[in-house]
Amino acid sequence: MDQLTDALSAISHPTRRAIIGQLANGPARFLDIAKRFDTALNAVTKHLKLLERAGLIERERRGREVFISFRGEPLRKVAGWVHEYERFWNERLDQFEQHFRNKKKEKK
Amino acid sequence: MKEAKKTLDVRVERTIPAAPGEVFDGWLNPTIPGNPWNAAEKFILDPKVDGLFFWTLNDTSHYGRFTEVERPARIQHTWVSPNTLGEESTVTVTFKKQGQDTLMTLVHSGIPDTDAGRGHEKGWNYFLEIFPGQFGNGSRREK
Repeated sequence: MDQLTDALSAISHPTRRAIIGQLANGPARFLDIAKRFDTALNAVTKHLKLLERAGLIERERRGREVFISFRGEPLRKVAGWVHEYERFWNERLDQFEQHFRNKKKEKK
Repeated sequence: MKEAKKTLDVRVERTIPAAPGEVFDGWLNPTIPGNPWNAAEKFILDPKVDGLFFWTLNDTSHYGRFTEVERPARIQHTWVSPNTLGEESTVTVTFKKQGQDTLMTLVHSGIPDTDAGRGHEKGWNYFLEIFPGQFGNGSRREK
């Protein structure tokens, strides 16, 4: 798969987005990441593998410990994929749809 | 004729809980939130074939000419703005009855595919918005 697809898959899961959120604050060790989630360690390992494959994290050995850090570049690619007009029209149509939903509610 | 430039199309669909006629009228009514004229600081709107529109927001002007106005099914107009590099792009909006609702489809075609349009920096901000609170409470925002 290409990097864009890998990045889109990687951010499609809430746990992986939470891991990105945590690592955006600074590097962390595997257990520091895992302890925040009520999930098996091997599930966290799987999430990290997917993030690593997408290039969103990298591992760095410091002495006896391995630190995992966030890399933003693949997200920039995803951001570039979303065209300004795509956002513009989605925002406009969201408002337009909401107007009619509100109107329907008022009628009831 | 236009040169074979790299362009892209944007397609957006919504199901609107009203009849096609009402939705069609709403799209051309500047008092209804969501249509392009509603948010404008200043606008001119003449929604008939060969009628023109203008609207401006944050010092960005948009111009166009209506090419199809077929109530309640279809509206088509050209769309010229700094983001289209002054070229005419086309916006086609269709309204299809779907039970008691209307399937509204908007296709914006012929948009020049530029880095400015893809707005990497703006796109980046978009991601900061959809990951609220996940990027260190704004303490580390990359540019």
